[in-house]
Amino acid sequence: MGTVHARSLDPLPMQGRDLGVNHDDMEGMETEQETKQEILENRNIVVQHVNIEGLGRTKEDYLGHEISDVFNAKNLIDVMKRSHDARMKLLRLGCFKDVEVLIDVSEGADALPNGLDVTFEVTELKRMTGSYNTMVGNNEGSMVLGLKLPNALGRGEKATFQFSYGTKETSYGLSFFKPQPGNFERNLTLNLYKVTGQFPWSSLKETDRGVSTELNFPLWMTTHTLKWEGVWRELGCLARSASFAVREESGHSLKSSLSHTMAIDTRNSAILPRRGALLRINQELAGYTGGDASFLKEDVELQLNRPFLFGSVLSASLWGGMLMPIGGKPSSIADRFYLGGPTSVRGFGMYSIGPQSEGDYLGGEAYWAGGLHLYTPLPFRPGRGGFGDLFRTHFFLNAGNLCNLNYGEGPRAHLQKMAECIRWSYGAGLVLRLGNIARLELNYCIPMGVQNGDRICDGVQFGAGIRFL
Amino acid sequence: MSLAAEAFVSQMAAAEPWPENATLYQPLSDEQILLSDNASSLAVQAYLKMCALPVRVSCRANAEFMSPSGKVPFIHVGNQVVSELGPIVQFTKAKGHSLSEGLDDVQRAEMKAYMELVNNMLLTAELYIQWCDDSTAGEISRPRYSSPYSWPLSHILAYQKQWEVRRKMNAIGWAGKSLEQVYEDVNECCQALSQRLGTQLYFFNKQPTELDALVFGHIFTILTTRLTSDALAERVKGFSNLLSFCKRIEQTFFEEADQSSASSLHSKGPSLL
Amino acid sequence: MAAPLELFSWKGSWGLPSVNTECLIVLAYARFAGVPLKLHKTANPWGSPTGTLPALKTGEDGSFSQPSKIIIEFRKQKYNADFDLSAKEGADTLAFISLVEEKLMPALIYTLWVDPKNYVEVTRRWHGDNIPFPLNFFLPSHMRRQQLARLRLIKGNEALEAGEEVEKELYHDAQECMDLLSQRLGSSKFFFGDSPSSLDAHVFGYLALVLKIKLPCGQLQQHLQSLDNLTQFCSNILTLYFPSELDEGPAHKISIQPEASDLDSGPNKKRKQLLSLFFALGAMLSYALLTGIVSVEHVSIEDSRESQDISEGQPGEEDE
Repeated sequence: MGTVHARSLDPLPMQGRDLGVNHDDMEGMETEQETKQEILENRNIVVQHVNIEGLGRTKEDYLGHEISDVFNAKNLIDVMKRSHDARMKLLRLGCFKDVEVLIDVSEGADALPNGLDVTFEVTELKRMTGSYNTMVGNNEGSMVLGLKLPNALGRGEKATFQFSYGTKETSYGLSFFKPQPGNFERNLTLNLYKVTGQFPWSSLKETDRGVSTELNFPLWMTTHTLKWEGVWRELGCLARSASFAVREESGHSLKSSLSHTMAIDTRNSAILPRRGALLRINQELAGYTGGDASFLKEDVELQLNRPFLFGSVLSASLWGGMLMPIGGKPSSIADRFYLGGPTSVRGFGMYSIGPQSEGDYLGGEAYWAGGLHLYTPLPFRPGRGGFGDLFRTHFFLNAGNLCNLNYGEGPRAHLQKMAECIRWSYGAGLVLRLGNIARLELNYCIPMGVQNGDRICDGVQFGAGIRFL
Repeated sequence: MSLAAEAFVSQMAAAEPWPENATLYQPLSDEQILLSDNASSLAVQAYLKMCALPVRVSCRANAEFMSPSGKVPFIHVGNQVVSELGPIVQFTKAKGHSLSEGLDDVQRAEMKAYMELVNNMLLTAELYIQWCDDSTAGEISRPRYSSPYSWPLSHILAYQKQWEVRRKMNAIGWAGKSLEQVYEDVNECCQALSQRLGTQLYFFNKQPTELDALVFGHIFTILTTRLTSDALAERVKGFSNLLSFCKRIEQTFFEEADQSSASSLHSKGPSLL
Repeated sequence: MAAPLELFSWKGSWGLPSVNTECLIVLAYARFAGVPLKLHKTANPWGSPTGTLPALKTGEDGSFSQPSKIIIEFRKQKYNADFDLSAKEGADTLAFISLVEEKLMPALIYTLWVDPKNYVEVTRRWHGDNIPFPLNFFLPSHMRRQQLARLRLIKGNEALEAGEEVEKELYHDAQECMDLLSQRLGSSKFFFGDSPSSLDAHVFGYLALVLKIKLPCGQLQQHLQSLDNLTQFCSNILTLYFPSELDEGPAHKISIQPEASDLDSGPNKKRKQLLSLFFALGAMLSYALLTGIVSVEHVSIEDSRESQDISEGQPGEEDE
């Protein structure tokens, strides 16, 4: 948390922060805390100046919006609250390493008796930061070089470049981010990348070279993202023993797609939320802006969380999606949905549910998956208040289905197809939260409803990831 | 094909008889396929016909990338995928069909040598003319090669392929040759083949062998493909015994399949008859 | 009457007139056809008129480096070893030359330049010893890269690396090729009767290297030695046309040297390893000392900042 420098060191009964007040008023403040609080709360002030010091390349007009709210403060506590909010907004811009707030009585010729000056002392991030990592994994090693240019042109633009050179493959990514001045949630990102991926469950390897532009903007309670992406995809067989169905997909294709995502997130945290809901709807239309691939893809994610008895949380989630090829061309294996694994329907092998050919999973054009979880703190609450709070035990019930639909038939036939051959599983396990982005799970699963061709992971299953069912 | 893979393939191959649904994959015959690929594909088709093994021809835009070795054509037989004439000959041999069993050692050595001659000179000349001659590359090869793809992928893939072939020509010393010299080389090669064939029916008199299939594939394709100039076809036409050889094979092995669309010869239009 | 032809060629060792296939082919053809050559034996490719070896420098027509072009030039000057071949034999020549180039040449490139053990112990050593200073520091590895790239392009496999599978495939093709050559040669002295032709020159160019150069991984040599008529063929040409090379016997000198240096490398190697280990440790320690203290401080500040963040973050989350 930041510090607010003070002229006097009298503490205030609000989270132990100090407040800078006039010397004259100080004598009157040696009485009890309640009196002090009253005096401060009722003291009307006017914020006369709000300054920002320490600016180098950041342009002042860019920051105007973030700090403008401080002017509306009516009393001291309000000033502190608004300047705290302004400080968080300034930090969120990603231009500053540190922001300190200094509230002082205004001085100078035009100083009012109850006037205050608020100064934000900022330390800008360095112009360029680099990072170098070495990663060693399954029979391969790679060198990752990263370069970041935060606040490149003074108005919050950020450019990042990452280059990974490995024994098996090279990949790189270049991205440019620009927020709208005064409205940080509205921003534009441009990406250029080359990524290689290997998918042993399908015996497939994929190299994507692409460019994308993304526009984010909030609308009322929702956030929307509009994105155009152009990707040159190269598919190949991972091994000579790949099935012929996968071999038929090898080759080059170009996908040019427009997509739109709408998300409403009222959860209190992205990982292990206690309450709130998430709804994300994504559509992607490919083919009308060029390219070989031509389809319409819909994807829905819903999650509801609710605190339950004794500090536990009940969570329900539902995922679903549909891919409709347009123009008679069959869909590509790289566009289809996959199901199964420690991050979706637990108890099954990674992406090992659904249509397959000779042991290679081909994915499906429609799927749904649902999960019901009960998260409880560790039994007997070891390490409470510290490390132990990162763990949870959970009991879960997952179900889902992945198949190809025959789009000629009506919706009733589709629903029927999705409802037959449901795979489901139940079990219990341990969840560890990693920061605010990822989580690790160790579960004991019992898969049921297993169909011909699915691969199961009966018993203990370990999973790590960002997005879990 | 590596030795281990060969052994494995032979084992698997020997286990099953030739199925009915064997398929041969090549690039799209009307818009995409180029001279060299067409010649190789025709050679394999001729060989399989000579062995009396039925095969369907299936055209795919991504045949080159589907192939395990990156070269077309390839056949999908049962569970096996085998590409290029050499490995296909060995594959059929493992199944008990062979055309060159009756040859003695010296003849077999000559057959292999002449097959390498066709690969080394004729195929390389075809590749040179297609990709290193600017007018052919620009008017025929690049547009055809990239026809199944949309812009800008079509440009990227066509230029990538051209660059690859030019590098190969550099490595084997053909980069410095002029078009005239390449035509001369083709002439020399055809002369050698014509010499070897002489007045016989097939290269090893009584029965056709894989060498006959290979020579037929290339010579027939050169004669029936329209390029920017007729110089190549004209050179080959100068050897009458090769012409009659091709006609004979076309009549014997391809006329039978008159009705079936499996024969790509008739869909191409021009024929020697 | 043109100026005498000058030929620049790699010098020889192991009883051979040259250690390079293309040079051997050209030299053999020249001897067969009786071409009066002014021979420059060198180990410096940059000294040749075209920058590579072999190189033929003619008076008027310029310089050529490709064996086929050189042979054509010889023929133009009326030195033709294929003079009395019949048309059929001429056709066979083309065919067998193609066979050797497609099947034997890749294996030879692999065994001399790509196979790591052979390259380090024989090829690089020879080139390092014979190429003049200072080119001998970078030219061998440059040539190796070139040969590997060439092999990759010929085989059409961009990802080709030294390995067991690749080796097996190439050697199998080469052994089959040698068998076929042996079958074609039969019991005659040369491929087409009693006088040698360009095909003999080509086959000699490849087989002589296989036969004479002693390599640690020498499967090709073993196989060749089992084919008596081919071994006889090579030795024949050497005795008849290159008798001077056989007398030199530099092979002994070179084969002794590797053993001697092997003995030395035992204790030396350990010493070198220890030295490099200490050097690395010393470098790391000194770097750590120079910057170590500073970095420790940084960590402690951030730790306390982080703990501040966590402690102030938690109340916010458990807020109900």
